[in-house]
Amino acid sequence: MNKLKIWLEQTMMISFAILVGIIIEGLFFTLFSGDPLYEFKMDWLQMVSIVLTGAVCSLPTVLWLVDTELPKNKFTVRIILHCIGLYAIVSLFGWLFKWYTKVDGFIFMTIIYFAVYAFTWTVTLWFHKRDDNKINKALDDIRDEE
Amino acid sequence: MQVHIEKVSSKDEEQAVIKAVEITDEIRGAIELLEGESKGFAVSRDGQTYIIKASAVYYIESVDKKTFVYTKQGCYDCKYRLYELEVMLGGYFMRCSKSMIINLRKIKNVKSQMSGRIDATLLNDEVVIISRGYVKEVKRRLGLS
Repeated sequence: MNKLKIWLEQTMMISFAILVGIIIEGLFFTLFSGDPLYEFKMDWLQMVSIVLTGAVCSLPTVLWLVDTELPKNKFTVRIILHCIGLYAIVSLFGWLFKWYTKVDGFIFMTIIYFAVYAFTWTVTLWFHKRDDNKINKALDDIRDEE
Repeated sequence: MQVHIEKVSSKDEEQAVIKAVEITDEIRGAIELLEGESKGFAVSRDGQTYIIKASAVYYIESVDKKTFVYTKQGCYDCKYRLYELEVMLGGYFMRCSKSMIINLRKIKNVKSQMSGRIDATLLNDEVVIISRGYVKEVKRRLGLS
């Protein structure tokens, strides 16, 4: 049940990240494509594709990263594999659902993907640090003296 | 010292406020009593039975259906199951994984791991893991959520 909850949370988070990525891509091409006829559109199929990709991308996260008790170096290897795995999934779904049609679109998606991936981990670690500080401060008040 | 008792409707609302010039031994004893820290329970080691105070316990672990209690003086066997001890000790004792109860007052510091679990370093420098599923409860017990 706990893993199902994490999977749903991850699906929402990754779907949102993909949506932001697509919006940035659309905004960039609208502003800088030089084509006056270029029009950024999103239809219902793209919305479905975003949620579907988020759901599939969440599976490796839940199965590989959550509550694993691995040494730091092995966990780092797992994160690298996770990053590559997710990149493969996003590329495949992007191609299937036509988030990109040309090489420049694919390159742009790649840049956005790695930026979002790095940003997500940075924010996660920052939240962890903030929580640690709060918990440690609360523990200071109740700790036994020995 | 004057004692005021006010009735409340639920267990969650129960609390004791002590207003004192200084924390005397009597007040410390009352705090221990209210927090359940003075509760004792039977443990055994090398065929000898001892009564240990809850406040001496660092953590309690269940391995192969046996319960082990860890204190500064070492490890003891205990006849109680984890769920029984959890109810019995209450207060600052809480589950940190399916097979472990930790005494929050014995934690020196915590550090989150990327997997979402928390590594808690105890006062005896042992590191125990707080599983991701129990982190929310730790925060709740500490009044952080």
